[in-house]
Amino acid sequence: MKCRVIGCSRMYRRLARAFPHEFRMVCGDGLEQLGADIVPLVWREQGVLGLVRCFGDLALHLPLEYLSTWAGKFKEFIMTDDLFEGTWKANNEKSQWDPNYTPEQACLRIEATDEGYLLVAYGIKDGQAVAERPTSIIADGRRRPIVDLNGRPMPGVPPGALAFGIRPDPHTIEAGAEVDGEVLGRGTYRVSDDGQTLTVTTEGMGLKGPFKTVAVFERVVPDPYVPQG
Amino acid sequence: MPRKTPESFLPLKSNWLHILISLAGGEKHGYAIMQDVLERSGGKVRLWPATLYGSLKRLMGNGLIVESGERPAPEFDDARRRYYNLTPLGRRVLSLESQRLRDLVGVLDAERRQEARS
Repeated sequence: MKCRVIGCSRMYRRLARAFPHEFRMVCGDGLEQLGADIVPLVWREQGVLGLVRCFGDLALHLPLEYLSTWAGKFKEFIMTDDLFEGTWKANNEKSQWDPNYTPEQACLRIEATDEGYLLVAYGIKDGQAVAERPTSIIADGRRRPIVDLNGRPMPGVPPGALAFGIRPDPHTIEAGAEVDGEVLGRGTYRVSDDGQTLTVTTEGMGLKGPFKTVAVFERVVPDPYVPQG
Repeated sequence: MPRKTPESFLPLKSNWLHILISLAGGEKHGYAIMQDVLERSGGKVRLWPATLYGSLKRLMGNGLIVESGERPAPEFDDARRRYYNLTPLGRRVLSLESQRLRDLVGVLDAERRQEARS
C-alpha cells in the first residue's frame, strides 16, 4: 500500500510540473507541495475514490490552464498597443507635487518587459538634468526583494525590503515597497480610458520626511524612443 | 476598458468566497486555506490542489489577494510556502458578498414568516 501511495505522489508531482510556466510562476511549487501533502491523507481518508478525485482535479485543470495561458497570449498579441508603454511628460499645472520634490520638468519612460514594466524617470529639477534609477514593476501580486536590474541589492534600501505590485484592472497598476509588513511607499499608476493620460499617485517616507504627490502625465506623441518610419 | 468595481465581482464564485472567508482571518498558505475551508464546511467542501491554486491565481490577477511578504521563522514553517493575504479590494468584495447573502436570507425569512402567519 505504502508503495502505491509513494507512486501516486510521484505521478502527482510529474503532472503538477506539466502545468504552464505562467501558472507555476504565480503559484510556485505550491501545487506540487500540496499534492505531496494530501495524497497520503486522501488515501487514508477516502481510498481509491479520493485519489481518483485528486488526479481528476489535476487532469481537468491542466488543459484549462493551458487554454487560459494561450488565451492571454492571444489577447496580448491582438492588442495593438500596451496601455502603459510609451513616454509620458508631466503636466505641472494639473499635478500636485510635494513641495520637497517639485521638478520643473518630469518625464517617465515605461517599457513592457517579459514580466512587467521597466520605468525610467527623468527631468529637470533646480535647473539641472536629473534621472532616477530605473525600476521595474511586476504586477503579479507577489512580493520580491528589491534589487537593481543586475539583481544586486540597491544602496539606501533597508535590508529585507520587498517590492510588490498588483494590477486590479487593465488600466491600473499598484506598486510599492514594504519592510516587515510596514509599507515604506506606494504608488498607483492609472491610465485614462482614452490612453492619453497617466496619473501617478505616490506617497511614503522620503529622505526629507513623508511625501505625497499626484503627478498627471500626458502621452508624448510620437514616442521619441520609437523610430518613426 | 472600464475599471472593475467591487460590485462587478458579485455574485462571487463559490471557491473564491471560501478562499476569501478563509483569508479574512489572516494570511494563510495553500494547505492552511484548504484545511480551513474543509473544517469550516464540516468536511463538505474540499478545494483540490489544482482548483485551489487556479482560484488563487485568478484572485491575485484580479487584485483581490496578494502574496504576503511576511514569512514565519524557518523553524516554525516550511520556508518554501507562499502566504496569501486579502487586499483592501478583496476585503470590500467579501463584505459586499456577505451583505448580498444576508439580504437573500432576509428575503427568505420574511417569506417563511408570511407563510407561517397565513
